[in-house]
Amino acid sequence: MTETRPKPKPRPAPESLPYWEAAREHRLTLPRCKSCQNFWFPPSRTCPHCLSADLAFENVSGRGKIYSFVTFHRVYHPAFEAEVPYVVALVELEEGPRLLTNILGVSHEEVHCEMAVEVVFDDVDETTSIPKFRPRL
Amino acid sequence: MNLAAPTPLIHPSRELRDTCAVVGAGTSRLGRVPGVSSLDLLVEAIRNALDDAGLKASDVDGVLCRGPDESYSHHQLVAERLGINASFSTTLTNGGASQIMSVALAVMAIRFGLAKTIVCGFGRDTWSRTHANEEARVRNETRPASLLPREFGPEYGYFGATAAHGLGATRHMHLYGTTRDHFAEIALAFREHALRNPAAQMKKPLTFEDYHAARLIVAPFGMFDCSLRSDAAGAVIVTSADRAKDLKQPPVLIKGFGTHNNTRGWFNNDNMVVTAARQSGEAAYRMAGLGPADVDTAQIYDCFTYMVLTQLEDYGFCKKGEGGPFVASGALRLGGALPCNTSGGQLSESHAEGMLQIVEGVRQMRRTYPAERQVKNAEIALVSGHGGNQVCHSTLILGRA
Repeated sequence: MTETRPKPKPRPAPESLPYWEAAREHRLTLPRCKSCQNFWFPPSRTCPHCLSADLAFENVSGRGKIYSFVTFHRVYHPAFEAEVPYVVALVELEEGPRLLTNILGVSHEEVHCEMAVEVVFDDVDETTSIPKFRPRL
Repeated sequence: MNLAAPTPLIHPSRELRDTCAVVGAGTSRLGRVPGVSSLDLLVEAIRNALDDAGLKASDVDGVLCRGPDESYSHHQLVAERLGINASFSTTLTNGGASQIMSVALAVMAIRFGLAKTIVCGFGRDTWSRTHANEEARVRNETRPASLLPREFGPEYGYFGATAAHGLGATRHMHLYGTTRDHFAEIALAFREHALRNPAAQMKKPLTFEDYHAARLIVAPFGMFDCSLRSDAAGAVIVTSADRAKDLKQPPVLIKGFGTHNNTRGWFNNDNMVVTAARQSGEAAYRMAGLGPADVDTAQIYDCFTYMVLTQLEDYGFCKKGEGGPFVASGALRLGGALPCNTSGGQLSESHAEGMLQIVEGVRQMRRTYPAERQVKNAEIALVSGHGGNQVCHSTLILGRA
């Protein structure tokens, strides 16, 4: 590659804006239904458990475990050329919903299903922080 | 995230069983066909299917197809190329489940008098599209940029169907002890079948050593776990079983079909290890009055090796979690207990999102292949379709008249 391309930044849908605004403050939040009390992800304007539109973004524990994961060896985007092999995992939070994320602070050979993880925030610039996860001690 | 209770099984009407037949099947050139649009590939396949059936385009009064993701009313373009007006036509958009759904819709339309003879088909120009230039090759993406995810994926370097299905494979390996050796046997069996098929895109033998020596793409998937990028199209002609009796080919009866979409999401519940093939297959079995033990050959949607393994479980050919040992027994090979993807499948013949599986199911039921390609004494074929956002599924059961 002759030039370094920046990694893609999230381009939030309107219903996801509160999630990303909280992430900027290093808070992991999820939409929660005020009617049935369930959490869900990704954000939407109605609860997929009961279809109520009465919701709020609430802080969550940031703790979870790896439900599944893959390791990228192929470069699909030039910005990730220096990262391969890197892990993309599906983390199941204690509150239930599953989030795609990267796992930091551990080699890809050591990542495994059910591994206990906790959220950390990757400040990519002055406006955007991306929730990622690391092994929980 | 778990959403609500499991979906109950449905009980489709058995009135549609054996009312319609496939009377023609055709494919386009397969593999690398530069300079030809997906529309022209589809028309090429339809022309071959009409020739196969001994019919003219003017005998067709229905067109059901799927177009490229960015298309608009694609069936209208197809019918225009065929030079026909169509009583019943539309474009389906349900990913790799669309192709069997188009056959199912054709049966319903013909049974209730909305059309007499319907062509169902799908064509794609995926090899050309992903090799147009260096950027297209790196992205390896068939959808236009405007349709790709904008958040909760690309910022983590998460791209493409290989990773999405790989998450399911990792989870299955964790729960059931499935291994890459099991995936290898699927790739090897289908490659061996492709070597018997002169039209297949892949021409070289594949060994266990080749499989393990190949570069990893998105682990647990290596190169030979992934289906092909192909320029390819297929088409079938559906008409009533009565009308089929007077036509050129021995009719292949449509005995049953079913569909199911796990639209609660691939990431939710246990959908990545128990696919919608379960409910879709059960619906098809019930319509046909058959079960897995009656199936002589399966043509399974093989976008990735793992998807074959889990669908075999979900269709009841073995128990959940036992797909690994089942494929390791050699069951999928011609001459095995359940010859599967006998033309090479999407892993080795060509990838037209399930359309070529329907064509192969029809050809196996006609029993006109030379002995080395024919499933001996085959009476019943099961065909599967899967795709979209990994959640849609369809099943077709074909039988000899």
